[in-house]
Amino acid sequence: MAEPKSKWRNFLDGVKSVLYGMAGHDMARFALKTRGSMEHLFILVTMGDLLGVPILPPYYSLRLLPYVVPQIATWKRRMLRERDLTDALA
Amino acid sequence: MNALVVLLLAAIGIGVGYGVYARSIDRKIIQPDPSKATPARMYMDGVDFIPANRNVLFGYQFKSIAALGPILGPIIALQWGWLPALLWIILGAFFIGWVQDYSSIIVGVREEGQTFGALSYRLISPRARNILLAFIYVYLLMIMGAFGITVGFTLMTNPAVPLGVILVTLAGLLAGQMTYKWKQDIILTTVVTVVVALVGIWVGTLKPVKDFFSALYGLQVVEGKPVSPNLFLQVTRAGFIGSLLVLVFCYLGAVLPIWRWAQPINYVSFWIVLFGVLGGVLGLLIGRPSLGDFPAFQQFTAPAGPLWPMLFVTIACGAISGWHSLVSSSGTARQLEKETDALYVGGGAMFLEMFFAIIAFLAATAGVGFAKYAELKGWTVPAVIFSQGLAIFLNYWGLDAALGQGFGVAYGSVFLTIMALTIMHLVVRFMRVASAEALGDRFPILRNVHVGTIIALLFTIFLIWFAPFLRIWGIFGAANQLMASLALLLITLWLMSKAKNYQWTFWPFAFMFVTTVGALLWQAYDSFFVKLPAQKTWDGMVAFITMGVLALILVVLAVILVVDGVRSIFRYRAELAKARR
Repeated sequence: MAEPKSKWRNFLDGVKSVLYGMAGHDMARFALKTRGSMEHLFILVTMGDLLGVPILPPYYSLRLLPYVVPQIATWKRRMLRERDLTDALA
Repeated sequence: MNALVVLLLAAIGIGVGYGVYARSIDRKIIQPDPSKATPARMYMDGVDFIPANRNVLFGYQFKSIAALGPILGPIIALQWGWLPALLWIILGAFFIGWVQDYSSIIVGVREEGQTFGALSYRLISPRARNILLAFIYVYLLMIMGAFGITVGFTLMTNPAVPLGVILVTLAGLLAGQMTYKWKQDIILTTVVTVVVALVGIWVGTLKPVKDFFSALYGLQVVEGKPVSPNLFLQVTRAGFIGSLLVLVFCYLGAVLPIWRWAQPINYVSFWIVLFGVLGGVLGLLIGRPSLGDFPAFQQFTAPAGPLWPMLFVTIACGAISGWHSLVSSSGTARQLEKETDALYVGGGAMFLEMFFAIIAFLAATAGVGFAKYAELKGWTVPAVIFSQGLAIFLNYWGLDAALGQGFGVAYGSVFLTIMALTIMHLVVRFMRVASAEALGDRFPILRNVHVGTIIALLFTIFLIWFAPFLRIWGIFGAANQLMASLALLLITLWLMSKAKNYQWTFWPFAFMFVTTVGALLWQAYDSFFVKLPAQKTWDGMVAFITMGVLALILVVLAVILVVDGVRSIFRYRAELAKARR
């Protein structure tokens, strides 16, 4: 008896996920994108020298460095990735 | 033939297409590996690359590819008879549609999430990327024209529609306020705003409201039909007000923050559309109408042109659409958690869209019927045909009896209007960004948000007021199908570069390319040598010269592209032969 119930539950979860994908996924993605872009912009302003942007790293950049370290790899990759207008369609 | 038989044929097409053909390609040629790290997992940055559940992605993919295309295209194509339209929808999706969508995702996943712009640069030639961007721009412009005419001149001119659209928009703004400013629960927000929107659509059908808009439009009954006075060119007062409302909506969508306007309105609109589709399908199953005397085949040369090639660009989405390849490669491929999800997400969403197109097809054939389709010249007003067909389906379970005569048609019209507008405001947004990126260095004023938007809207209003609907729909379809050709060419080249079987993408590419170039050449010929000499007014001449020139530009771009593509095919074949030696 437990198995059909669980299948039904799975089905309902699936329908819920599909509806979320249609209705809200884009909104959630946009919110994440906005936050991510702001963070990446902040890192660029404070740690731009890591990418060769000619800024003199101020004292506060060094204070912030430990917090930025986990994001450096993905940030560098995103900043340096080649882009065109088709990226804006995503 | 009964509508349920058509649904059964579509279900068989989906069952065999997805369950047999697609699965065999997936298993034997692509061989996805669930343990392989996808770009979403490998490059997860919380911005562009984020893994998502396969069901969520399925919904996202479907919502991104389904707009007015799969609804209006099949209805316009009924001018050749229902059989050619039905066959192309089912066979197009079976042999070409899912192939493109699914393999676009796979190429994106296997090539580290690169977009088609970057891939065409690498696999074909540097100029191929610029050609792709030109296709996209023309395609978007044609969307604005075709959807703008449909909304401004056809849907908004029904006095029961404008207030409903305005109130759905306001419900969307309320959703944005409740979500982002008042931090309300999403379920509460959804219930409140969707109820407000539904009540708004109903209020729009009340007599005082209709009388107000009838007076505003200056509608007078001539030979039993409401007619609005002509203001200038072919534009009536109702059409002028309708097109201005479209411009205002798109302007606000393009310049306001996306969370304030575009997103919440799209969110509320989604529920209106979902209820309409579910209600329509339910009515269809209850009523089980027949196609009646709708002719299976009417004529080879219809008002939109000869069956080949014009049918194949008239029905784009629903059978095959280049737009899907862009969504698949730029959006979905970067969110795919496992390679094995690609078929479910890409192929599954495409087959569901095919089903969506079949519902629109049935709304016209089994719902409205041939007599009304012929009387209204349904190929010129497909939105009216769909809203009337949907209303008939909704009435099978008594919607009009419950909410008043005419509610079903108004609901169908608002459904289509918001579906079009929610695409159009995002298109204007994209066009603004595109013009700023492409010409911003030379003309810095284009970087100004308002200037870029106004220029995009000036192009739009030109098309709405001047261009004939059928011709603009033909060029819109052709630009879309040329993008599909480019996508299939890219996929073929990618398969060749990986020494995989490429016949299943090459022949669809060849068919789509020859057909689309044929369609464009026919449209250019018809515009310059048939329609233009027959024009007596300057606006008609301007319209057909513009359409002819646009068709020729697309032909030239397509030929350049295929020359580069064929060169690349020979290059890869030579490399393959060398590797085998």
